[in-house]
Amino acid sequence: MPKVLIVDDTAFMRKLLKNILFSGGFDIAGEAENGKQAVEMYKQLKPDIVTMDIVMPEMNGIEALKAIKKIDPNAKVVMCTAVGQEQMVKAAIKLGAKGYIVKPFQAPKVIEELKKVAGMS
Amino acid sequence: MSESKELRIPVEYFDNGWKKGEAVISKSAISFAGVTIPFKEIQDLEKLNYEGKEAIRIKKDRNYYLNFGKSQSQIFRYLAFNLKSDRFAVYFLSPATRGGVVVSDSKWEKGYLSITDEALWFLSASKQIRISIESLGSVEKDVRTVGKKQRVVLVITHVENGEVISSFVLCPETTMDMLEEYIKNIIDRNKPKEALSEIEEQILTMVYTGVDSVSVESILGISTEELNELYDKLVNLGLARVVKIRKEIELTPRGVALVSEIMKKAAR
Repeated sequence: MPKVLIVDDTAFMRKLLKNILFSGGFDIAGEAENGKQAVEMYKQLKPDIVTMDIVMPEMNGIEALKAIKKIDPNAKVVMCTAVGQEQMVKAAIKLGAKGYIVKPFQAPKVIEELKKVAGMS
Repeated sequence: MSESKELRIPVEYFDNGWKKGEAVISKSAISFAGVTIPFKEIQDLEKLNYEGKEAIRIKKDRNYYLNFGKSQSQIFRYLAFNLKSDRFAVYFLSPATRGGVVVSDSKWEKGYLSITDEALWFLSASKQIRISIESLGSVEKDVRTVGKKQRVVLVITHVENGEVISSFVLCPETTMDMLEEYIKNIIDRNKPKEALSEIEEQILTMVYTGVDSVSVESILGISTEELNELYDKLVNLGLARVVKIRKEIELTPRGVALVSEIMKKAAR
């Protein structure tokens, strides 16, 4: 099963995503609470997919996406965005994000999007 | 339609079953089955499926369900345009996004944003979109590309079938400021009077996401009793409703004996 690195600055959102992904058959590679930590963990864990929050302290999701793409141009990063952040999503897609999920999200949509990105659907 | 000109049209109305009759529509009222409803007294209007038929629901103290067959859309448009409402001339794009994804076949329409006691309407010759007040989520100004130009639009979000839908409104700045304030007040009026605690907000989010009660307890580290109390609060605030009552059981001695037998059978 694909391993997912969950990146979000709120513990609750990480727990929620972990629950959704685990019940959807994904393995959890790890959790990072900001972009900087995500980049370090990406190097160490080599996850198959990263779910990346956009607004985070230290390094935001867009910057982290850029850094991860520099390390691995084939990295599969799915952006987690809130309603009203469409402009940021556009920027992320241009930078190579493979997909996005909108908060508040519903479990089946998250699974569907990640399976699509993982090439499982 | 002038006052003297009345439209007489066959209608099916629901009264302990669908019944055939005739409706009379004038410039100011609709009559059917001995009932006359002045347009200005219509409290709410909606297209929906009711008792096996596509129907128009007209609310005036109680709900009336009507079916006009082939003329349904035409009559609905006429009623929607004649509702008692605060109406503003705008350009609108609705739906603009559905679940965060741009709705590619949606087009900007010239029409009205109409606000009644129970709903907000986008009205044009081809669209009459009703958004119930309680499904409204947010309103704010944002910059969007409209006809290759960056323009300030009013972004209104609402929830439909569990998905967040956004609509854009384009109008003069002063109207936009006023509309933003107006809709913000409506949304605030419908918010729970009591602020939610962090844990209550988290439960609400998890229920929306589709997390089951056992997982909610596990994620938050709380007991079933604690969760039930929190659920009760959300229900009392009108933010959720009970759809299922979970049962917890423990085995009787007979049940325990049967489990032992099941295990023995499995070991054979």
